[in-house]
Amino acid sequence: MAIHVTTSINAEPVEFLCEADDTLVHVLRDTLNLTGTKEGCSTGDCGACTIVLDGRLACSCLVLGVEAEGKSIETIEGVATPGALHAVQQSLLDHAGLQCGICTPGIVVAARALLERNADPSEEEVRYWLAGNLCRCTGYDKIIRAVLAAAQDLREAAS
Amino acid sequence: MADSPDGDLKYVGRSIRTKEGRAPLIGKAKYTSDYAFAGQLHACIVRSPHAAARINRVDLSAATRVAGVRLAMHGADVAALTDPIPDYLEPALFGGKAAAHRCLAIDEVWCYGQPVAVVVAEDMRTARYAAARVQVDYTPLEAVVDAEAALAVGARTIVPGWDDNLLMHVPFMHGDTVAAFESADQVVSTEVKIHRFSTQPMETRCYNAVWEHNTESITLYGTSQNPHPLRLVLAQTLRMPENKIRIIASTIGGAFGLKMHGHPEEGLICLLAKLTGQPVKWLESREECLLIGAREQKHYIEMAVNNDGTVLGLRDRFYANTGAPSACPGWGMAFLTGLTMPGPYKVRDIDVQMHAVSTNKPSWNAARGYGKESTAIALELAMDNVARQLGVSPVTVRLKNFIGKDEFPYDSPTGLLYDSGDYAGAVEKTLQAIDYDDCLEEQASARESGRYIGIGVAFELTPEGGAIPGSMVVGYDTSSVRVGPDGTVRLLTGVTSPGTGNATGIAQIVADELGVDIDAIEVLQGDTNASPYGFGNYSGRSTIVGGGSAALAAQDVRLMIDKVAAALLEVERSSLVLQRGVYTSTADSSASVTFAEVCYAAYTRAYDVALCIDPPLEATRTFRPPSIRHTPDANGNINPYPSYSNAAYATVCEVDVQTGQVKLLKFAVTHDCGKVINPILVEGQACGAIGFGIGGALTEDVRYDASGRQLTRSFMDYVMPRMSDMPPIAVEHHDMPNPGNYLGLKGAGEAGVGGSAAAVVNAVNNALQPLGVVMNELPLTAPRVWAAIQQASVAPTPGGDQ
Ligand code: FES
Ligand code: FES
Repeated sequence: MAIHVTTSINAEPVEFLCEADDTLVHVLRDTLNLTGTKEGCSTGDCGACTIVLDGRLACSCLVLGVEAEGKSIETIEGVATPGALHAVQQSLLDHAGLQCGICTPGIVVAARALLERNADPSEEEVRYWLAGNLCRCTGYDKIIRAVLAAAQDLREAAS
Repeated sequence: MADSPDGDLKYVGRSIRTKEGRAPLIGKAKYTSDYAFAGQLHACIVRSPHAAARINRVDLSAATRVAGVRLAMHGADVAALTDPIPDYLEPALFGGKAAAHRCLAIDEVWCYGQPVAVVVAEDMRTARYAAARVQVDYTPLEAVVDAEAALAVGARTIVPGWDDNLLMHVPFMHGDTVAAFESADQVVSTEVKIHRFSTQPMETRCYNAVWEHNTESITLYGTSQNPHPLRLVLAQTLRMPENKIRIIASTIGGAFGLKMHGHPEEGLICLLAKLTGQPVKWLESREECLLIGAREQKHYIEMAVNNDGTVLGLRDRFYANTGAPSACPGWGMAFLTGLTMPGPYKVRDIDVQMHAVSTNKPSWNAARGYGKESTAIALELAMDNVARQLGVSPVTVRLKNFIGKDEFPYDSPTGLLYDSGDYAGAVEKTLQAIDYDDCLEEQASARESGRYIGIGVAFELTPEGGAIPGSMVVGYDTSSVRVGPDGTVRLLTGVTSPGTGNATGIAQIVADELGVDIDAIEVLQGDTNASPYGFGNYSGRSTIVGGGSAALAAQDVRLMIDKVAAALLEVERSSLVLQRGVYTSTADSSASVTFAEVCYAAYTRAYDVALCIDPPLEATRTFRPPSIRHTPDANGNINPYPSYSNAAYATVCEVDVQTGQVKLLKFAVTHDCGKVINPILVEGQACGAIGFGIGGALTEDVRYDASGRQLTRSFMDYVMPRMSDMPPIAVEHHDMPNPGNYLGLKGAGEAGVGGSAAAVVNAVNNALQPLGVVMNELPLTAPRVWAAIQQASVAPTPGGDQ
């Protein structure tokens, strides 16, 4: 039996129907057509499905759609403003921190969350914070450089 | 005419990143699984739980009774409507055995996970539920899982009608190995066991087939590296004319060989769409993706060496466990391993015996490196063994045996023609990048404090851009350049980009040839109804042949535009200067017209100024690298490769002797991929491949139980390097232009897997040398390293702080 869920996605109120065992990544992608969130493993191991749920990073493949009831969700679609990329996105573009791009939405969401908590992370902190996001194309090197550069850009913009 | 944009306006050679990128960053890139169509149906595949079994009966009735199920089929149903899947690369071309590859198994299953039945339903949940209700009655058969055991007398043959399980045996021999071994001071034997590890792109495979009622044709949205050749395979499998099939390979989330075709699901999903008249989608689960294997092979190597380190002869007998026969080109990796021996070394007397063995493990598909990574792993581990036994530095042994940089073009003993290279120079740069001498000092002082630091070096030769006669692995490709009446450019190319950035690289080349802004170029790849007939992405070829052909086409179109510009300005063509989108003339200072105005005139003034050309402003050209030779030489050898990229690697690791954990501290690579179109793209490719090598050396492993059931089923079991596992990577370029190719290009993308894996293994062995531990069996997981240390002849003396 379908269950009615009331939530907010990228600061917009959203209501949807889902089955009790539908995962949130499935609801986002198939019901709400927010296909920016990717599913790479379905077991919580790759981070492609990373979202922010009530302010905390979560693998949306490990969250049920019904668990979103009353919560706020942020997805990749809400990271850039219509006019401009977020500093993390711009920096990933500039540093070629993406190749095929399928891991990128998860990395953007996770890296933004890092920089919101820690404006000046060390390389080691970046490596461990993003250790939950697998990337098969880049060998990570350019992603790390991009995130460190984005942190610096954000610090400079703030000062 | 005077050359157009001045030096610093050229795009080639610069690190730019414009063609892909923005869409994935904002979550708007459309990968195959992101497409959904009206009336979308979903397929779920029933797979064999046995490695080998007879299928007595498949009962679909419980599945078809479920509301929402549209169709359920078993092997015999599908076989009645399809033909066997043609091989991507026929083993028979090389003297191997043939087998009929079916979309669904009939009568027998040959491996764990082989598709046996399929259910199509209105939603995925129903499809999965109904698939679980399909009843298959099997009689399990004895599974043949080990390659060497599969060749033993009396082993059960896995394909009915074969007289043994040897898919193919090819000897690669040259010179007089017997004499070389007799005259050498010593013989060093090394057994190298390479395990089964896989590419696992972050995007799994997905096929969404649409039946087009108006044209009675199929459009397949699919994760395919090679849409045109796949179209032919589908046509034959589905018994349809090729022109009734269109393939759209949209943005691809990594491929690395896994998305080369021959997979049973490709034709199957198309058939289901045809039968239901509705779109049918199948999305591979990660567990299914992990079935696709590669690289598992055991080498028995002997090197005849003199005490000064000179290698006189090489013997290698190796057995590749290529799994059950399939139409995918995976088995060819084993052939390439043999063909590319003895790599960068000037050893003339070789006796390499390649055995590709069929077993009841799931099939291989192509995997980045395509067998050349195994050549590097086997040779480089053996070279370190030589160094250890002779008591000389691993660097010295390599330098002693490298082909010299003045010896190119070099005829290899297996008949390849290496174009260029400076192997010793690349090693030197790598050692500098890693501060080799400092590392040696650190290592010595660390040992005093009970820490085990190791330094590993390795070299890798990766012929790229291959062409195999009589197959769809061709050496050439084709591009079209179209300039519109507004001066914007549409570039269509037969090579595809699975996320490697070749669209940007090719656009850079075209921007320079046309003299236009790169933002004026749109690149289209992967649609068989739009692109010229092409062969897609494999073998690091895309920039060589995609870029080479696009350059030729752009030159043709540029000539047309120049002619019209000269006619418009009424000046000699040789006096034209094109800069920042404006044509001027050195002959007439008042003459000026924009590039876009010239293009408009080319279309609209066909009867006066544009009489000198045939509109439209379009050209299609093919680049066929001239050094590929398919006419056999006196020894019967061909040269299937136009380019011989190479790279030198060095890494520093620390082994925790109490846990067996290996931590990589430093990593450096020097890459020779000829002229570099875009350094940042090449570096990205190299670092990605190094990630594969490090993962393969240390953690990635697909395991089976004794009955051939796969134990590795998720990313919990298949452990790939994470950001916290990877060392920083220093990438150096040492480019020896390829004399035979446009701009001196060589391939990029495949190098990195084998060389880095070998460097890591060599580093671990170097770290554990004081304990007498040598591990030449991959992967070096912590439990295995720990176990080896426990059995060591010398007990470790860990430092106090450990
Ligand atoms: S899909 Fe959720 S972590 Fe991989
Ligand atoms: S860019 Fe392809 S997986 Fe990260």
